[in-house]
Amino acid sequence: MRRLVPHPTLITRVNVTPLVDVALVLVIILLVTAPMLSVADLPVDLPQARTREAEDERNISITVSGDGELALDTERLTGEALESRLAARLAEPGNQNVLVVIRADSGIPYGQVRELLTHARAAGAKRLAIATRQKVEAGR
Amino acid sequence: MARSIRKPRPEGIHEPNLTPLIDVSLVLVVILLVATPMALQSGIAISKTATSGRSGPTTPLARVEISILDADHVSVNRVVVDRANLGPTLGAILRAAPSRDVAVRCADGVPHGVFVSVIDEAKASGAAGIAVLGR
Repeated sequence: MRRLVPHPTLITRVNVTPLVDVALVLVIILLVTAPMLSVADLPVDLPQARTREAEDERNISITVSGDGELALDTERLTGEALESRLAARLAEPGNQNVLVVIRADSGIPYGQVRELLTHARAAGAKRLAIATRQKVEAGR
Repeated sequence: MARSIRKPRPEGIHEPNLTPLIDVSLVLVVILLVATPMALQSGIAISKTATSGRSGPTTPLARVEISILDADHVSVNRVVVDRANLGPTLGAILRAAPSRDVAVRCADGVPHGVFVSVIDEAKASGAAGIAVLGR
């Protein structure tokens, strides 16, 4: 008795799997990098800390680099303009209770950070945090 | 005499398609590469007192006060201790104190990294809230 062997069929449709995969990669990259784009690209060596809190939250960041350059989110500005610009940002709808994060280089004198905190308070910031880099301890 | 031409048999794909596997692996690698620096960045919430410590509570034990004198010396409730002994000293004081709030004052010339390491240690020793005092 002769057995009928099914003919292997050619795949005639376009294989969309790689296309979908690459598109998903792009979407994920955009999702993950979007919060990073809201921070100024000043070189900042954040101080290390073991404890962590006040993260994963929408915030306004004030960045101070090691050589004293200042930025409010991505906008570079001078110390004199900081208070008014921050006050304007905090006055925007939905920003009244937003967290203001000070991203200061670990090498700058504390006096500069204290001035920033004073400016932030004067601009109307209700919640403040100091950005740190998570200290990874070996064997933990 | 017409010769019959044999059509080549279409062959199926017998190898497993590795493209989706490689793509998904690349996605994971990219996510890890991008997310690692973000996962390592965090913050410490502080409150900034509007004025100096003089307007604070009058009872000395109402809150613990730390003054950072320089990179190696701090004072806890006006008792000077070495920076290295801050953790045990502060832990003992906080366990006995009625409030776990800590107020920190720092000299202007002290590096910001030292200031953060002190408030980090205060948090690790059990401080509930950190208030930063002015001059």
